[in-house]
Amino acid sequence: MEDSKVGRAKAKLALIMGLGSVSLVLLFILSISSGAMDIPFKDAMDAVWSIIVNGVNENDKFELAIYYLRIPRALGAIAVGIGLATAGAVMQALIRNPLVDPYITGVSSGAAVGATMATLAGITLFGDPIYSLPIMAFVGAIGAFFVTMLLAEAAGGRPIAYVLGGTIIGIALSSVTTLIMYNNSDKLHGVLFWLFGSFSSMSWTKCLIVLAVVITLALIMLLYAKELNVVLLGDEQARQLGMNVKRFKPIMFVLVAALASVSVAFTGVIGFVGLIVPHLARMMVGGDHRVLIPASIMVGANVLLLADIVCKTAAEPAELPVGAIIAVIGAPFFGYLMIKLGKEYVM
Amino acid sequence: MSCDEELTVRVDNLSFSYGTKRNPCTKTLKGITINARKGQLIGIMGPNGCGKTTFMRCINKVLKPQEGAVYIDGKDVDRLKMMEVAKICANIPADVPDDFHLSVEEFVALGRYPFVTGIWWEGEKDERLVREAMDTYHVTHLKDRKLAELSSGEKARVLLAKGAVQQPKILLADEPSAHLDLKFKLQVMQALKDLSRQGVTVITASHDINLIAKYADLVIVISDGGILSYGPPSEVINEEVIRAVYDVEVTVIRDRGEIFVIPMKPVDPEKGDDEDTRPCEKGIVAD
Repeated sequence: MEDSKVGRAKAKLALIMGLGSVSLVLLFILSISSGAMDIPFKDAMDAVWSIIVNGVNENDKFELAIYYLRIPRALGAIAVGIGLATAGAVMQALIRNPLVDPYITGVSSGAAVGATMATLAGITLFGDPIYSLPIMAFVGAIGAFFVTMLLAEAAGGRPIAYVLGGTIIGIALSSVTTLIMYNNSDKLHGVLFWLFGSFSSMSWTKCLIVLAVVITLALIMLLYAKELNVVLLGDEQARQLGMNVKRFKPIMFVLVAALASVSVAFTGVIGFVGLIVPHLARMMVGGDHRVLIPASIMVGANVLLLADIVCKTAAEPAELPVGAIIAVIGAPFFGYLMIKLGKEYVM
Repeated sequence: MSCDEELTVRVDNLSFSYGTKRNPCTKTLKGITINARKGQLIGIMGPNGCGKTTFMRCINKVLKPQEGAVYIDGKDVDRLKMMEVAKICANIPADVPDDFHLSVEEFVALGRYPFVTGIWWEGEKDERLVREAMDTYHVTHLKDRKLAELSSGEKARVLLAKGAVQQPKILLADEPSAHLDLKFKLQVMQALKDLSRQGVTVITASHDINLIAKYADLVIVISDGGILSYGPPSEVINEEVIRAVYDVEVTVIRDRGEIFVIPMKPVDPEKGDDEDTRPCEKGIVAD
């Protein structure tokens, strides 16, 4: 058997999916057995088994906590991890800049404006009032992303233009958020939770919405993993290889904007995941998107689930905001990556 | 016209302009006509900004000419899909971005993109061609390295391998030896020559007149958007042509069939050397 590139890629893919799934299952078990209510590990496992076999027993407070709070929360963390990591990896390929992610391209700050408008200024679009915050956050996120893209394209579309454009839009929108908060300083608590980023308000409905959207969009992006490799060469080279870049990129941008926006809409601002996870995945499996995106999905799901467990347990019975925890760990880690990979990532 | 079936590239009265009505004369190609046969190595010469790269972009449909047409194997390129063009026409850029984490092997495999039939993976044949191309251009030992870690010479060989793995009928190489030292310049040109001897029509732009003189079967001299001279190196490369194109005095030495161009000094600028202000010349039709 000759040495086969495809064979090696498939082996890498199997390994990362296998290890990632095992670790995800373990973290999931850990996640549903930890939290504010003190449920011994064995009782938690018994409760899960009972839920699977008999359905949830509405009189058992362990089962209630696990079924209505912990499982949706864990699933939500997994979904958002997958969403942010995949969006980051795809954005980095489309823009050909390893420094972009949903945070830097304006998605998070746009979502923050939407969220503060919904909770503080009472501006809502449609639907159930429970969903006015996520809907407004989603609209703000998508809007900010496209303004950033338009700005960067108008400035010539070079990879650095997206970072600059996103930074400018981000600063502008943060000021808008500040102004809305300043004028509503008596009602801040409602939005602060969201701005810090947290999975604590996850319900079954919310987590299923995020999971369904994230998995659908991530699967579509996986179908085009081969094309994302070609896009890395730049528009002209991609065209010369027969790719219809003018059609591919706008469609992908719309999909990636939706993916990033829905990921932050319910849980709030969680920075750095979309930036760091694809880099971590690249260090593990290389840059081929056919392996890189599945690896990002696995790493993203694991990282956010782990971060949420830390948030639940580190300062028991108090809870830490996951966005802040990720940023505190993520910022120095990213600094380290920059120094280590500075030579390879010519910016 | 006995060897019409051998014609792989026919450019018929091609005109292209980036400009608008207000600014029509910058970077313009006018009335270019060439015929390239199977297995020819064609060298394009001309000063910076004369339209060499623009001309090559018109051949593989990256740019659409305002007038005239390009035929590959008798087919009008304008009517072919980009994917169909990519299956017969490969290109070797002067440089590619290397700030991503693809390995050399993954990069070379991108050349098979137009041919991959599955949704994701390359097939057996694609893999075999990638291995062969990496062997031919001596980059197999680099296959797991990242592009950014390579030297210029190594990168040039990787780019050649990516072009060859497309198994093109036509290979466009825009200044493939620009950043290389003498040894690698010769290696790259010899590799292009070998490809042309295997039946590939190679069209390459270069500023190195001596390399063109040594390796090209046909030379096209583009000046001010038109063809100034066209023919075998022995006819085209002489003191007058180079003086007219580059505003440089040279001495051309011919020795046992080889041509050596030695640059002497720039021509006195009294006749005006600002190329962008010179009027566009009518292109010369050449065969």
